[in-house]
Amino acid sequence: MGYNSTTRPLPGRQQLPREFIARHQRARIFAALAEEASEQGYRAVTVADVVKRAGIARNTFYENFSSKEECFLATQEFAMSTALERVVEAAGAFDEWPQRVRAGLGAFLGFVVDEPALARTCMVEALAAGPAAVRYYEESQQAFVSLFKLGRDVSPQGPDLPETLEEALIGGVFWILYQRLASSQLEEISELLPELTEFALTPYLGPEGAHQVAAL
Amino acid sequence: MRDPANQPVEAPEYPPELARLPPGRHGLPREFVAHNQRERLIAGLAEAVAENGYAGTTIAHITRHAAVSRRTFYEHFASKDECFIAAYDTVMAELSRRVGEAFEQEDEWPQAARAGIAAMLEFLAAEPHLARLSMVEALVAGPVVVERYDAAIQSLVPYFQAGRDGRPEEVLAGLSPTTEEALVGGMVSLISRRIFADRAEELESLLPDLVEFTLTPYLGSTEAAKVARQG
Repeated sequence: MGYNSTTRPLPGRQQLPREFIARHQRARIFAALAEEASEQGYRAVTVADVVKRAGIARNTFYENFSSKEECFLATQEFAMSTALERVVEAAGAFDEWPQRVRAGLGAFLGFVVDEPALARTCMVEALAAGPAAVRYYEESQQAFVSLFKLGRDVSPQGPDLPETLEEALIGGVFWILYQRLASSQLEEISELLPELTEFALTPYLGPEGAHQVAAL
Repeated sequence: MRDPANQPVEAPEYPPELARLPPGRHGLPREFVAHNQRERLIAGLAEAVAENGYAGTTIAHITRHAAVSRRTFYEHFASKDECFIAAYDTVMAELSRRVGEAFEQEDEWPQAARAGIAAMLEFLAAEPHLARLSMVEALVAGPVVVERYDAAIQSLVPYFQAGRDGRPEEVLAGLSPTTEEALVGGMVSLISRRIFADRAEELESLLPDLVEFTLTPYLGSTEAAKVARQG
């Protein structure tokens, strides 16, 4: 199930544990902000839009966040950690590094397709949401860099590969997805797995080795 | 190499809007000082944005830097956004002219690609304020600018697509339709990350890595590394 802001609060919620309600509320606010930002762009979104879409009281919003900016940063962090969790879990199902990369990329594409509004928030709107959001965007790419760097151990060229290779590969993958998300070409995204896998693995395994894994 | 973006190459003269900016490391020719008000406003915006960021820049900042009246501003632009778009377009036109020109001066594609990347890094490193305006502030300046930013980056794709010409069948078979887009995206992310972190002075040292990264799919890693270490 997606993080959809139209999911109604459960009846009798007063009896639910406080913590559950709080988490549920935050998830609804994240989803609402992500959907509003996808539709009108981050700058145009107001707290009133978010409150209305989430179906919560204005007070509830301000109990959770001091401003739209703070809410955006929390949404971005939530979106990115959701994506990263999925990637790590999928990659963990394999022992070999090339298969781990393929599975991780597949999980990331799955996240983008399942949660387009959240994905847009952390990959498109983040760039328009001010310095703190851009800084977080840049830092979160670093988490992927360290996953990729392990490829140097299995590559015959490992020690000779350029220092910035992983940064460039991840930047390339993000750019491709950003372009498709910005123009709402979601159907295309799930078909990109073979070519993105090949793109990411070629510097480590050479074209043939990369092609074999990509074609699995 | 013929410039695949097919821009007419003109005499290497600075557009007057840029010429009024404070000199960067390479120094801008002072004799191109602009008289035109519109040009002064564009230059004033670039200075104001460098000082305050896009969001923090007001029309008063721009007119102060341009030394014109508020009324003059509104004779030329309806808003700060509109003035920013004019500045952005001016910077990008200059950047793409330089890249195209450098690319065309080489006969072989690998050297042409290298020269184009070098020209881009050189311009951005020499003009950190304009680099910030075009690669960082553009992203917060609203959907119209973001659309132009995306298009400007995608316009680099043909320079790399030219690398397919004359490659053996087995190399071409290994290149997916999105290869060039991914290469350009990767290159730009390395560049903009350094500009964002106020480390524009590091840009030129990225040249070997970027050349190796972008040429490897076409030439293989050994040959690409060789071109990367030339010069």
